[in-house]
Amino acid sequence: MQSGNHSIAVFLTVVLAVVFNLMPYSGDWIVWKPNFLLLVVMGWVLYQPKEFGVYFAASFGLLADILLRMTLGHSVIVFALCVSVIVIVSRWAQYLSLLQRTFLVSLIIGVVGLLEASVFMLYDRPSAIEHLPMKILLSALAWPLIDRLIARSQRQRD
Amino acid sequence: MIVDSFTPWLKPIYSTADNLVRPLYWLANVPLRVQEWSASSVTPRSEIEVENQRLSKESLIYHGQLQRMSDLAAENLRLRRLLNATELLQDSVLVTEVIGVSANPLRHTLTIDRGTADGVFVGQPLLDAEGLMGQIIEVHKSHSAALLITDSSHALPVQVLRNGVRSIAEGTADYNLLSLKFVSPSADIREGDKLVSSGLGGLYPAGYPVGTVISIASEPGDSFLKIDVDPSAEIDRSRHLLLLYTSRDSGADATE
Repeated sequence: MQSGNHSIAVFLTVVLAVVFNLMPYSGDWIVWKPNFLLLVVMGWVLYQPKEFGVYFAASFGLLADILLRMTLGHSVIVFALCVSVIVIVSRWAQYLSLLQRTFLVSLIIGVVGLLEASVFMLYDRPSAIEHLPMKILLSALAWPLIDRLIARSQRQRD
Repeated sequence: MIVDSFTPWLKPIYSTADNLVRPLYWLANVPLRVQEWSASSVTPRSEIEVENQRLSKESLIYHGQLQRMSDLAAENLRLRRLLNATELLQDSVLVTEVIGVSANPLRHTLTIDRGTADGVFVGQPLLDAEGLMGQIIEVHKSHSAALLITDSSHALPVQVLRNGVRSIAEGTADYNLLSLKFVSPSADIREGDKLVSSGLGGLYPAGYPVGTVISIASEPGDSFLKIDVDPSAEIDRSRHLLLLYTSRDSGADATE
């Protein structure tokens, strides 16, 4: 029963993230829109590193590729990279405060974003690197809400 | 990634997966629909009356212009016949609504609420009230995906409205910027020049606004100018768009 509740919580948070990702906003700031699906996946791995890991992230990366019309495998790599770092630091991450977790997630998104942009630049393709700082900032602003939401569903489960 | 980049083998998988995630697009639109509905519900009567009067006046002006346009179109057709030029293309449109926007700044795509059921086809041009927006790249039963002209993989043939100088407008992965390619330093092009689709390539019909030249730079040693263009269409804002159906119409019909 508990596992069922858990699955429902994961499903609901993922659907919410996808809705935010796809919502047809308008305005200049849409290029800074955080990847909510990535944040939610990172959140679940951060809180449940034993249950969710790189394969979990990669499968949602595949969903992101389809939804964002990326080359199949692009988001799989990005999601897997971000979550790999979370998995590595998960032993210590549970002792971090909300502010420290926000910093950690922003750092991971920044580093992976830089890596992604570098690969694009290597092949002389537009990298949108100029939008990265604002994307990190907005991701950092969105993170506490996602963190609280997952922590709350976690508490309800326990 | 290699298979997806260089072959169309994964297209059926994409298509099936896209149909499966269709409810998510519907769900993503709910907040905006609620916002639109609440905005229209709480608008005072006086404001609606003012808006109605303004629209009536606008309609009258456009009807007047349309009468002049049909006269000009008939004259154009007669002149084309005299020159033995190709027949005119007559365009019809279908209104559509944006139901999804790609969250990735590297891939400028939109999802619209029309599909094969409405006769949408791959390569169909998409417009907003101001100019060309892009083209359809995937069609499903009741929704379609469009690639915007600002996507870095997109290019369209354009010409300067003032003098017909031709070029290629490429996307730059920036919603507010296009780049003109292969314009020689001796070409007659100025800041403020309006660009329209040239019709070359056969995908986009000729004469639709594409953008305005905002800056021209010449790097020493470069064979071509570096020209930035501000797109006419409100690429990152428009919610209601037009799908363009171009059909070769007979001359007799066009003169009527």
